[in-house]
Order: sequence, then C-alpha cells, then structure tokens
Amino acid sequence: MKPSAVDAVIRGLKKAGVSIVCYLPDSLFKELYPALDADPDIRTIRVTNEGEGAAICGGVFLSGKRAALVMENSGLRASVEPLARMGLGAGIPVVMLMSYRGELGENNWWAIPHGITMEPVLNALRIPYRIVTEEERIERAITDAFSWSYSAYYHSAVALGGSVVR
Amino acid sequence: MKRFDCMKALARRLSDELVILSLGASVDEWYNAAPHMREASLFQQQLGCVSAQALGLAAGLPHRRIVSLDTDGGMMFNLGILATIANEQPNNLFIVVWDNECYQSIGGPPTHTASGRVDIAAIARGAGVTRAHTAHTVEEFDKHCAEGLAAREPYLVVAKVSGTVQPDIKRKHSDGREDKYIFVRHVERTENIVIMGPSEHN
Repeated sequence: MKPSAVDAVIRGLKKAGVSIVCYLPDSLFKELYPALDADPDIRTIRVTNEGEGAAICGGVFLSGKRAALVMENSGLRASVEPLARMGLGAGIPVVMLMSYRGELGENNWWAIPHGITMEPVLNALRIPYRIVTEEERIERAITDAFSWSYSAYYHSAVALGGSVVR
Repeated sequence: MKRFDCMKALARRLSDELVILSLGASVDEWYNAAPHMREASLFQQQLGCVSAQALGLAAGLPHRRIVSLDTDGGMMFNLGILATIANEQPNNLFIVVWDNECYQSIGGPPTHTASGRVDIAAIARGAGVTRAHTAHTVEEFDKHCAEGLAAREPYLVVAKVSGTVQPDIKRKHSDGREDKYIFVRHVERTENIVIMGPSEHN
C-alpha cells in the first residue's frame, strides 16, 4: 500500500470514531498495520484468528466505543461463526476492512480461494459491502460502512483491491 | 461442587460489574442466582466468543470490572483468546470457566476435559495468564472470586462443577436481541453514554 492509501484508511477510521482496531496481519495491508500500531489515537489488539477479533469488536461495540476488524479477506471465513451468532442472533455489529486477495490480477495460487469465496460468504451472511479500488474512495467507504452498521446494527464490510493494495 | 452454589457465592460479591456469559443451562442458573445482575449481564448463545467479547468490553470500559462466565466447551473452542488476553493484560477482567466436563445443554456428551488429561488453568498459564487456578470447593472458588475481582491483571478460575442443573428454576424468556438491548441500556445508564442512539432526521 502507498503511504497515501494508508493515510486514507486511518483518516476514514478516525472520522468514523474508531478507537480500537483488532487485526491479524497480512501481506497486502503490510504497511497499514505498523501505522495503526503507531497511531496514538488508536489502540490495536492483535488476535490469533479473525473470529476472535470479530468477537472482541462485538464486545467493544457493547462498551460504546467503536472498533474495526482489519484483515485479509480469508479472515472472513474464519469469522463466519461469531459473525452469524452475534449479528443474526443478537444484533451486535462488526465493521470489517479486508484486503481483496484472489481478485483478477492475483498471481498466487493459494489466494484464489479467498477471491472465489469472499462475495458468496458476504452474501450468505447478508452483509453489505463495497469493493474499493481507488484511493480517493477509501475514506468515504469506511465512514459509510459505519453509518450503515450503526443504523442496521448489523455487520458491513469494505474490501480494498486493485491498485490500492498492489 | 454445584455450579449454582458457586454462582450464588459470586453473585454476593457483585454490584456494579458487567457480566457476559455463555450458553446452555448456565444462562437460567445465572438468571436465578444473580437476580440483581440481570440487566448487567449479557446472555449469549455461542461457543468460543464469550471471553473475547469480555476482552472487548474490558478494553472499551477500562474503569469498569468485567466478568466473563465461560465454559469448558466454549474455552476449548477458541484457546487463542487466552494468549490474546495475556498479551493485552487487561486489569479489569475476571474470567470464570465452568468446567462440568460435558456439553450439558445437548444431553451431556463429554468435552475434552472429561479425559482428566486436559487442564484449562494450566493451558491458561502456558498462554501467559499467570494467575489461573482451579477450584474444587465453593470455599476455594469464593476465595478466587475475591482475588479475581480485585486483581489488576487478568485472573482466571476454572470451577470444576458437577454436570447437574439446579432444578425448578425460572426460565429466562428473552432472546438474544432483547438481551442485547437490556444490557446496552444498562451500560448507557450506568456509564452516562449513548451506544444505540436515535436516528437522524434527514
């Protein structure tokens, strides 16, 4: 990611009122994680799997603070169980920001499943999402996701792909 | 040792804490053992999420004591949370693991702890939660509650309880959504904050 794209993500998170980010690092967002760690206004919590991160974000929601789950899109699959239970069972929302592995242009065979499963999994969970491939649309996508999730009390997602992450 | 007796001992020590608890019969038992904590308790129906949600709540409300009532099945479902809690070192999180060595709510098939080999407190210590203990009597359990509720670092107690359920207790009627609203409104009132506020007019 270019430094300007990293800045756009952090601007969007702050504008949305986020003070806690749970993440499991990946390669496409490589530059984002240390920037989040270094930001004095954001507390980062590193997790052992993304489902755990989703559940922590749910707990943060209940505290009145705002959290985001940042991850590779493969983490969506690891999060399905807590997302389904919290979102559909209790109405506890999680906003996710994920890197789009496996989209057209992918050059790693192991990342192909992530691209094939991302949108069907989001659709199975009825999670609205926006795929952003232009840097100038990052900030708005993040704040829109939070606006929607805090109206619906349900999850939403932003996937960053294309030249934003490559 | 009966879980219901442990719950009553813990309940006597609670007033302004927030509680998150797991699924199964422990929900109805807690509802009856701690009637004064009903609004301050979030009743969840899921494995592997309870202590993670409790950590999130503890991170968001660092001045408030958070109590996680987890289970052997729930903790074994996501052991990674122990390592995350150890690394985060919340100074306001007390975790109880009700270990009845079975999946009680579906009729009692054994969990992994039933073998006698698996020790959740030892796993927790290995993950870095250094104050992790096992209680076999209500007196031991109550002592750990006193320490855990005052600790300035994460504290975990595994309560080895029987697989029996307290008979003739009132069932909780609300579902997960109603439970969430009750809990959120309690947090809003006691913290003087807005979590789920009014819609915009536009």
